[in-house]
Amino acid sequence: MKRTRQPGISRRSTLTLMGAGALTFAAPWVARAQAKTIKIGMPTILSGRVAQLGTSSRNAVTMEVEKINAAGGLAGRQIEMVIRDSKGQPQEAARVARELVNTDGCELLIDAEASSGAFAVHEVARDLGVFCVHTNSETSALTADPKQHIPNAFRTARQGVHDSIFGGSYAAAIAKGKGLKKWATCSPDYAYGRDTTAEYTLYLKRFAPDVEIISESWPKLFQPDYTEVVTKILQAKPQALYSCLWGGDLTSFIDQANIYAMFGQMEVFAVNMADYTALTVVKNLPKGIHSGNRYIKTFPATPENAAWGDAYRAKYNEYPTNWSWENATAMMLIAEASKKANSADGKKIAEVMRGLTIKCPFGADGTVTMRAEDQTLIGYAIGWGTTIPQEPYVPDVKAGDWKIILELEAEWKKSKGYT
Amino acid sequence: MTELQAARAADSLSAPRLEAGSKRLRYLDLLVALAAFAVLALLPLVSDSKALLDFVIRCSAYGLFATSLNLLVGYTGMISFGHGMFFGLGAYGYGLIMQRIGVPIPLAFLATLAITAVVATIIGAICVRLKEIYFAFVTLAFQMLIHSTILSWSSFTGGDQGLRGGIPRPPFLGIDLSNHVHLYLASCVLLVLGLLAMRQIAASPFGYTLRMIRDNPMRASFIGIDVWRAKLTVFVLAALFASTGGMVMALFVSGAYPEFAYWTISGEGIFINMLGGVATFLGPMVGTVLLLILNDTVTRFTEYHGIVLGVVILFFAIGLRKGLMDFVVEWYTQRRDRASGQG
Repeated sequence: MKRTRQPGISRRSTLTLMGAGALTFAAPWVARAQAKTIKIGMPTILSGRVAQLGTSSRNAVTMEVEKINAAGGLAGRQIEMVIRDSKGQPQEAARVARELVNTDGCELLIDAEASSGAFAVHEVARDLGVFCVHTNSETSALTADPKQHIPNAFRTARQGVHDSIFGGSYAAAIAKGKGLKKWATCSPDYAYGRDTTAEYTLYLKRFAPDVEIISESWPKLFQPDYTEVVTKILQAKPQALYSCLWGGDLTSFIDQANIYAMFGQMEVFAVNMADYTALTVVKNLPKGIHSGNRYIKTFPATPENAAWGDAYRAKYNEYPTNWSWENATAMMLIAEASKKANSADGKKIAEVMRGLTIKCPFGADGTVTMRAEDQTLIGYAIGWGTTIPQEPYVPDVKAGDWKIILELEAEWKKSKGYT
Repeated sequence: MTELQAARAADSLSAPRLEAGSKRLRYLDLLVALAAFAVLALLPLVSDSKALLDFVIRCSAYGLFATSLNLLVGYTGMISFGHGMFFGLGAYGYGLIMQRIGVPIPLAFLATLAITAVVATIIGAICVRLKEIYFAFVTLAFQMLIHSTILSWSSFTGGDQGLRGGIPRPPFLGIDLSNHVHLYLASCVLLVLGLLAMRQIAASPFGYTLRMIRDNPMRASFIGIDVWRAKLTVFVLAALFASTGGMVMALFVSGAYPEFAYWTISGEGIFINMLGGVATFLGPMVGTVLLLILNDTVTRFTEYHGIVLGVVILFFAIGLRKGLMDFVVEWYTQRRDRASGQG
């Protein structure tokens, strides 16, 4: 074979050398530009069973950051997100959060962790004093319990008790209208499932005192087979069923309960049904399941919400999730607070953020508020409606009344000894 | 496993030689420990990287845990799949005592060790009678029992949300564990003391008894050793060190979570031992450093860390067929033998 390679410096080497030279000269400018950026750290779950939700959080934040950066960033500083997987382990979430602040130089934290991971990151925020927004943990105690309160941590996620109050009142109205007195519950056997079910039935009974719970089932989290649970419910012959199963567990349960034609025999209230992750996965979505809204682009029925849902879908080729809107809201609040404070400093943002109301596509009246007293989000869209098997999946959603929700929440806080 | 057995056999053969110079070796261990502590203590003066201190604190927690597991796996031949329960017990015991009673930290530390000793004695008394796979599975069963108890007893343990609200760290004797450097130094002290103590156990006559039980329990029994008692003793001792690791972790994250008592923690312990090696005392410590570096660097770049770690496991399991320290020690011994043969 004839050798074509000529001795001396090749074109490729020349290009590499030129590139390296250009980089060397450009480095000070690049570094200066980088110093002007503000890094926001975000530990979330990107692997394992709930990776889809973590990814949807990352997507939503990325989408919002692009908008904020295009509009000039946070007080003139471009945002750079540093998003890292915590594997859903609290000790790893704490480590990653510390690493993001201590090593990567992140000045703000978006804690997109669920459950115990959020409490672990909360301790990091307490320890390091870094500004932090919890975006996914719905556990009421995270902000309701004064022992947890720190001035630098906020929450833009739903709060379990808000959902239960309106869910209970919605179910009670239907129970009274249809005479549904015998109820069964079927929820996952861990803190979220037990607490949410207890709060829901508390408010259901409060609004409809005749209701009686005749059967309780507690399938394990991520249980693959629900035959036993379905037959237990059918044997008890309730008139209505409440469930806070979610994600894959809820879809498996519905698919398996469909075989027994369970949905024709009772009214079903599944708080986590109206989320695209569940709606689009169920094989035969039964008509008439009552569900709370998690995220659907048709509720609130505003052009802003529809546009946001469509933009997300166009960008990522999938629907947003409940975690998506919660994370997007965090970025919207940070951007607005930073604008008002004319600063990207965590402390100044925190000061402005307390009590801040912003325009938001996910607000019940087009706005959401970061309540000052416990630094948690209120005024977001809460609604319940019934499903149909095709888009828009939940055509008529009855919106919750925030006045009642807040009144009863205050009462609940008192009963828990939080105020 | 043939290499490992060969290494173990060589280890047993070298026993008399070690025994003869054991006093000298113990002084050497003490010197090495002091030197290691001095290096660690100087670290905050040389570097102001908080991440580096965090890394060493985590190494202390996992290192104590993994080395204590090696007392069972490498020295006694008891492969426990449930050792993580004591890691969790340490974290929860310490966290609950501090949150609910609020005693001085050293007292909470000792009380947690006492609780661990009692629980380990009860569980060990049942488990150590069993052999091999039965022992492994019953320890796993106990671990799941403790994990389920933590999840279900939510009024006491916080259920799956863990111990919330932070663990108080009141200052004692001028030490303030809410200060990062103090916490770092305290972790280093616990690590060095823990390793030194485990080294003494391994090098003591009791340590050799354990190796004998591992290699031939029947022979050990015939020469009058109470095998059950020796196994139970090492089971409880290992639990105490694992519990100390758990306490360091609870101090680091200022909380305790059910994941600390889940089987995956035990799995990580086994993995660390595979990575570092079980035939040398420092193998698990090397494995800990390797795993944490791998974990921390890989998760920085990709969420597909499982694939990377899987490849590393395959490399060690199929490529080296032993842990890193075992490989290095074997390679060094062969080189030395070859050199002396030539000489």
